[in-house]
Amino acid sequence: MARTSTGGMTDAQAQQRSEDIVRPEKPFNRFRWTVTITLLVLFFVTSATVDIELSQLAALPERTLFYLGLMYTPPDVTEAPSAITAMIESLGMAWIGTMIGAVVSFPLAFLAATNLFGKPVVFAARQILNFFRSVPEIVFLILLLPVTGLSPVTVALALGISSIGTLGKLGAEVIEGIEGGPVEAAAAAGGGRLQRIRWAVIPQVIPEIVALWLYRFEINIRNSAVAGAVGAGGIGTLLVRQIGQVREWAAAGTSLAIMVIITLLVDTISGRVRRRIIRGPTRAVDLGANAGEQPEGTGPGAGPKREGPTGSVGGGSFVPV
Amino acid sequence: MSAVPAAPSSRPGSARPDKPPPPPFVLWGSLGLVGLTLVLGWDWEYGIGFSLRDIYDNLGRYNPVLEGVRNLDWSTLASPTVLAGFAETFQMAAIATILGGIVALPLALLNSVTGAPNTFVYVAVKNFNSFIRAIPDLIYAVFFVAAIGRGALPGVLALFFLSIAVIAKLTSDIVDGIDQGPVESARASGASHTQMVKTAVLPQILPGYTSFALYTFEINLRGSAVLGFVGAGGIGEVFNNYYQRGWYDRLVAVVIGFFVVVFIVDRISIAVRKRLL
Repeated sequence: MARTSTGGMTDAQAQQRSEDIVRPEKPFNRFRWTVTITLLVLFFVTSATVDIELSQLAALPERTLFYLGLMYTPPDVTEAPSAITAMIESLGMAWIGTMIGAVVSFPLAFLAATNLFGKPVVFAARQILNFFRSVPEIVFLILLLPVTGLSPVTVALALGISSIGTLGKLGAEVIEGIEGGPVEAAAAAGGGRLQRIRWAVIPQVIPEIVALWLYRFEINIRNSAVAGAVGAGGIGTLLVRQIGQVREWAAAGTSLAIMVIITLLVDTISGRVRRRIIRGPTRAVDLGANAGEQPEGTGPGAGPKREGPTGSVGGGSFVPV
Repeated sequence: MSAVPAAPSSRPGSARPDKPPPPPFVLWGSLGLVGLTLVLGWDWEYGIGFSLRDIYDNLGRYNPVLEGVRNLDWSTLASPTVLAGFAETFQMAAIATILGGIVALPLALLNSVTGAPNTFVYVAVKNFNSFIRAIPDLIYAVFFVAAIGRGALPGVLALFFLSIAVIAKLTSDIVDGIDQGPVESARASGASHTQMVKTAVLPQILPGYTSFALYTFEINLRGSAVLGFVGAGGIGEVFNNYYQRGWYDRLVAVVIGFFVVVFIVDRISIAVRKRLL
């Protein structure tokens, strides 16, 4: 029995006591518990009621491997040219769609910025943007089909319309992050609202807004697959036909590979350009900006930065709220 | 009074200095932007043939959608097929978000230099995540429908991959941006990599992660609209059915109903996410 000097307790007791004193009680986080329990209940209720046959689930691993085997042992490379043509068409829909979204969202972004317009205007503009954000591409697509027909142009229009919401919202956030100095200067020089926007706001936000367009283009490349749902062209239509209808698995293997490779390639290029737009030239020694991290607001064309890498377009990421 | 010249200008008598030429990057970037738009928008072999004139000319054609808007059939919203479609969409989105969220958390941690135990794992997971993200949900859906048959399961799987893509991407970005202080102190006090992640990284990213998971639920609800077109369940099956038959009066009613549902869920989700962050 080892006795310590602290009032006749054993070592174990002493340690226990010191832990009791040093470590505060873990607070009970009611919010976290509510979320956890809700999720668990939700998961079990939905899983139990959803219309999924267990036999389907059981067959899943085996079937997946089987068809992947059909696709890639070996893929039918003679189909590569048609897949590349289809992918170019997809890129076309995505790019034109992005440009449509860019043109329409540009003025809306200014109207939705709280530092430029009053509450009623901002509220109205935001509601319009929310509307475009809430409706999925496929809905715009089927509503537009009777007008422009089953063509890539219809897909581009649908992608464009649904890009308006996101581009406008993120654009408004960029505009709200500008520095007040130039605006004040323009106001002091007698500039009206439009002049202030033209000479003090647009030059500050244009790099980040162009970066947003490129980011949306990357997303729209993926979204252009929606054309496959109705057969309006592009790689989505080709894959839906090859996998879902004629079941040319080996050809589908080639198409899928080409789609993934080109998508990633365009992502990489677009990501580099975005980083260049936001951060300015890397070797900007003469401007006093070091190559790695730039302090806020320095460097040519460097727009105002929101805090941390999470908000930075250059990092290729946004925090959606 | 003869020391200082009025303005450093090349033109005599002008107070305003010459505008500098645009930097090459801006010049070529703008040309590229316009060039790409022309090449991909023009009506030729590699362009989609975009023409405002065509669209304008077509506006006057008979439009069954407008006809549908004029004779909206609200009663269809209460029909059992539509209600079942909405229910299935919710079920699919919920299951996919929860499962995808569980899988995406480790993928997000390993996708960052701080969270990955070594460079090999970091590079491997990063590439894996990019790969998952490069395939659109509709393509996952059509593959799983072909492999295991129609129904809600291929839809859940497609949304599952979509959820992984979105949550892993967004969460790994906040992992990259966390405060390194706790990480350093965990390491300094001799924590293993797992202990460090658990005590220094996770607490910092959990609010963001939960918020992204909720956001993904919204995305999944919207995403489920397209999956039904290839037979992967949800409200999209109803859309496809009405679209194929040309029942635009019902289609537009269901679309409006869907929009209202998504809008309400968005509002709730945004309110909860504001509370989280």
